[in-house]
Amino acid sequence: MFAALSPQFRSLGNAQNIMDAAAVLAVVTCGITFVLMMGSIDLSSAGVMGASALTVSLLVANNRNDNDLGLLGIAVAVLLGCAFGCLSGLALVLLKVPSFMATLGVSAIGLGVATLMFAGVQPNITDAMLKGWAIDRFLGLSYLTWIAVACILVGWLIQRYTRLGRYAYAIGGAEEVLALSGVKVKPYKVAVFALAGAFYGLGGVMVTSQLGAGLVQAGNGYDFSAITAAVVGGTLLTGGRGGVLHSAVGVLLVMVLTNGLVQVGVSPYWQGGVEGLIVVAAVAAAVIPQRRRNQVVK
Amino acid sequence: MSVAEMPALEVRGLVKHYPGVKALDGVDLVVRQHEVLGLAGENGAGKSTLLKALVGLVTPDAGEIYVRGEAVKLRSVVEAANHGIGMVFQEQSLVPNLTAAENILLGSEGASVRRGLYRWDVMRRLAQEQLDKIGSKIDPLARTDSLSFADRQMVEIAKVLRIEQRSQHPPVIILDEPTSVLESKEIDTLFAQIRRLREFASVVFVSHRLDEVLDVCDRVTVLRSGQSVGEVAAAGAVPRELHRMMIGSTGSDDHYHENAASVVGSEQPRLSVRGLSGKSFRGIDLDVAAGEIVSIVGVHGSGREDVCRALFGAEPATAGEIRMDGRKIDLRSTRAACAAGIGYVPAERKIEGMVGPMSVADNMTLTKQKARCAGPFVAPAKQASLVDRWIERLSIRTPTRDTAIQRLSGGNQQKVVLARWLVGGDIKLLLLDHPTRGLDIGARSEVYRLMRELAASGVATVLLADSLEEAIGMADRILVMNDGRVVTEVACPAGGKPSPLDLVKEMV
Amino acid sequence: MSTPVAVAEPAANPAGPRRAGRLTGFMPLIALVALVLALAIADSDFLTTRSLTAALRTAAPLIVLAAGATLVVLCGGIDLSIAALASLSTVLLALWLPDLGGLATPVVILAATAIGAVQGVAHVLLRIPSFIVTLGGMSILSAVALVVSGAGTVRVVDDTPVKWLELYVGGYVPMSAAVAIIVVAVIAVVLKVTPLQSWVSATGYSESAARLAGTPVDLVKIAAFCVSGACAGLAAVMLVSRQYSGGPTMADNLLLPAVAAIVVGGTAITGGHGSVWRSLAGALVVTLLRVGLPIVGVPSAYEQILYGVIIVVCVALTLDWSKVSIIK
Repeated sequence: MFAALSPQFRSLGNAQNIMDAAAVLAVVTCGITFVLMMGSIDLSSAGVMGASALTVSLLVANNRNDNDLGLLGIAVAVLLGCAFGCLSGLALVLLKVPSFMATLGVSAIGLGVATLMFAGVQPNITDAMLKGWAIDRFLGLSYLTWIAVACILVGWLIQRYTRLGRYAYAIGGAEEVLALSGVKVKPYKVAVFALAGAFYGLGGVMVTSQLGAGLVQAGNGYDFSAITAAVVGGTLLTGGRGGVLHSAVGVLLVMVLTNGLVQVGVSPYWQGGVEGLIVVAAVAAAVIPQRRRNQVVK
Repeated sequence: MSVAEMPALEVRGLVKHYPGVKALDGVDLVVRQHEVLGLAGENGAGKSTLLKALVGLVTPDAGEIYVRGEAVKLRSVVEAANHGIGMVFQEQSLVPNLTAAENILLGSEGASVRRGLYRWDVMRRLAQEQLDKIGSKIDPLARTDSLSFADRQMVEIAKVLRIEQRSQHPPVIILDEPTSVLESKEIDTLFAQIRRLREFASVVFVSHRLDEVLDVCDRVTVLRSGQSVGEVAAAGAVPRELHRMMIGSTGSDDHYHENAASVVGSEQPRLSVRGLSGKSFRGIDLDVAAGEIVSIVGVHGSGREDVCRALFGAEPATAGEIRMDGRKIDLRSTRAACAAGIGYVPAERKIEGMVGPMSVADNMTLTKQKARCAGPFVAPAKQASLVDRWIERLSIRTPTRDTAIQRLSGGNQQKVVLARWLVGGDIKLLLLDHPTRGLDIGARSEVYRLMRELAASGVATVLLADSLEEAIGMADRILVMNDGRVVTEVACPAGGKPSPLDLVKEMV
Repeated sequence: MSTPVAVAEPAANPAGPRRAGRLTGFMPLIALVALVLALAIADSDFLTTRSLTAALRTAAPLIVLAAGATLVVLCGGIDLSIAALASLSTVLLALWLPDLGGLATPVVILAATAIGAVQGVAHVLLRIPSFIVTLGGMSILSAVALVVSGAGTVRVVDDTPVKWLELYVGGYVPMSAAVAIIVVAVIAVVLKVTPLQSWVSATGYSESAARLAGTPVDLVKIAAFCVSGACAGLAAVMLVSRQYSGGPTMADNLLLPAVAAIVVGGTAITGGHGSVWRSLAGALVVTLLRVGLPIVGVPSAYEQILYGVIIVVCVALTLDWSKVSIIK
């Protein structure tokens, strides 16, 4: 439809643009998909990405200090994301705080940590490799896009071939049955949040590569966009359905939609509005078949 | 006694209290090796509590469980499985979005998962081995929710048989109401399966269909009021004999405050239902006169609870007509029902009947707000005198009217829930869904007396009783429901009560 | 296909939750007094009229936001859109003030109420969990605010119609704080003297029991969202009167403090237990933390971390553990 409305939309360059712009969202969505499969929700990606963006920009070569850890710095940033995810998971299983509240809190903590590291001076990265990720191309696509493709592949393998992935899926399907079968669910829940956190951490690194600097707001909006993409891809917020590949398709759909709207002249500010409508509509459509009278919806 | 003759499972004097009730009151049970033991009993006889105790879901207060002569403590499903006891749950316990193979191996994956990594080929082979044992042709890698109900049951049996690997002994397999949702052909397959299971396991079979129990079992143990009251060899036994044991001697009639002169017989029924249909019931016709108590009886799954909820607007009806005093009413919501003078006492008192942390006064006036208000405002003095009056009238034992209702005993909680419908003074029809569930004898008796008084004052009552005795003792008329339909109606006047056996015949 | 749910054993010991309830009941007040004392010791200037009124003025919009959202939480839901709605309202107010003058304030509050109502209706009719509806609403409202404001600050040239909020009652109490406290009082009193209190509590504690008792659960929930929207609109008026402008992200950073205020006050996120008075105390605690951190020399970046920790810890403390068997 957009192809008909805007000739520019059809161009190869635009297809590349869409792929490149989708890279970060794809990685974040990959992470959140595992949480959504369990029937939980994760609002922490914005905070986690901010913290990891600052971490990586201060650990690789930059204008603020003499660090030049390169890949090690990236690994630390990803591990930090992992730790934040762990925190959300522990708050969920040990303190029994509902995931949307726990992750809201963890997001705030992440933003606070990022602000502390930011300390009023923006760290610009000078690390050639990390900067190159966003610029250098391989087979017409940027390295970031290839990283996203690799993430989706890894995510799919985890979902298909590991106990962690299958149990995340099963927890969304029927958590009480797992308990009845003698499976200890809690460690898996924490692990799923930690896994998601690692993906967000990598997402923060990728944003830093795109911007050339570490910003507290690196993850702004990605939390909701990722939920939108996952929901559009067919993952139910009630859990137990969908998967990484579904979400990858969802990411492309969302990117095509927002890119297309911009191309036909709709203000980019509407992006959040469109996403909000999509999520509400998709969730409403998903609950229609299960509607019962006298059902409790919180 | 040699090991071969040792019972596979033995239960001695098992006791379990719940607040207000003794669910198990010293049950004894013996399951021999390689036999199929039937377990029979009315609703509330303690069957499900006993089964839960056997698989570690309920911790008994007293009594012993022996597995092959050795006393054991079962604190969880896993411990029960380690001792070779497994259960096929009435409501199936499979993860719908996993493959059959994963479900069969869930929690005991063995070699199919190495260091957290799945080996699908091994998993398929192990699951296939389990399915082969019971001769099932299901594809192990099919998603569970794509299988038919009967196939899912096979998957459950295959899953339960995995406990052989843990205990190294022939297991004890408990089947809880396995036939309730199967077609007759599927039941035949299941029975063939159970007979096959006997070769390498002991089976405990629970069903409310006595003909089935006698058909497939070697022995039958009968439970009543939390006690084992008899044991018969299935060969040569007749259902009637079992019925009698299940029901026992009928209690004395004055327990129900028998009303000698039933006031029935105004020309126009208070409630008149024609052709009411919903998800689990079809074409229900029902008349209840003012002052009459009509009881609906039926086994689990007969749809009577849903009829009751539909009459209160809490469950959608797809067709049919409901009239109150001749006037047609539209029960779109529970509010519409309240406005029409209908009251409902739900079976799940703690979850649906009362708001636990709120006070007695607030619970009592929750529905009929007008009774405590002056204009749009709550009048504290009016509320206080109203609530105190009803506390006294129903002799509700509570420290004050502001005490949280969850601190009262079950019987007093139930009286507050009942009072909720009475404070407005406009109640015409009461729907009572197991109003005496979980109450002790004294509290039951008070609830019965209250029901009598209300009936005498002209309130029409629909009662879903906790037991057949209760239905017969209280009702003026009994409707028997089976599989979503009313199959028969039995007059139940004072002095001419039917026997429980007459009703059971129609129910199953 | 249904699966057996591990049914929680009936609560045999009703004394448990009560003891916890008593403890959390005084928590906000104790925290408030402790904070005031600590700040008075740390900074001798704190107990002066000037810094106290400044603190009250900062607190006013937060109190109003938290009070409205508390109603939704009492009903067992949550409203995550309040801050975005307040931001949008500041933009609308700034845009409409030149044309509507004094009428702009009630019109904006009405518009915010209507938006709250739409979210409430979507939650009730479409059966979407409230946090998803309001999360979507947050995103939509932010987009609208960006578009209508052109993504920039809207200056208010003539602020006489909202100037009254900058006055002082009796020379000391800022008008905005007085209005905020009046709002809390009005909500509390209306709840108390009408059947609304028992309807709201019943809905929050046990929605199914409330429905089976004929409580107008759906209407109560929609009304709660309306009040929440109206409060967001009023908070926006206060913000505009202070900042002489409206902005599409002006109130966004109030979401976490507002949620923190509610849970610090001891209102249970599971619904039923709590009150708007508690949220007032909670909002004051949060505000004191906010103005107090710089006084004791802690960088304000810790503020965010503090909110995060407060939310998680307080939710855990006030949660009704008996009610939820499986936490998602």
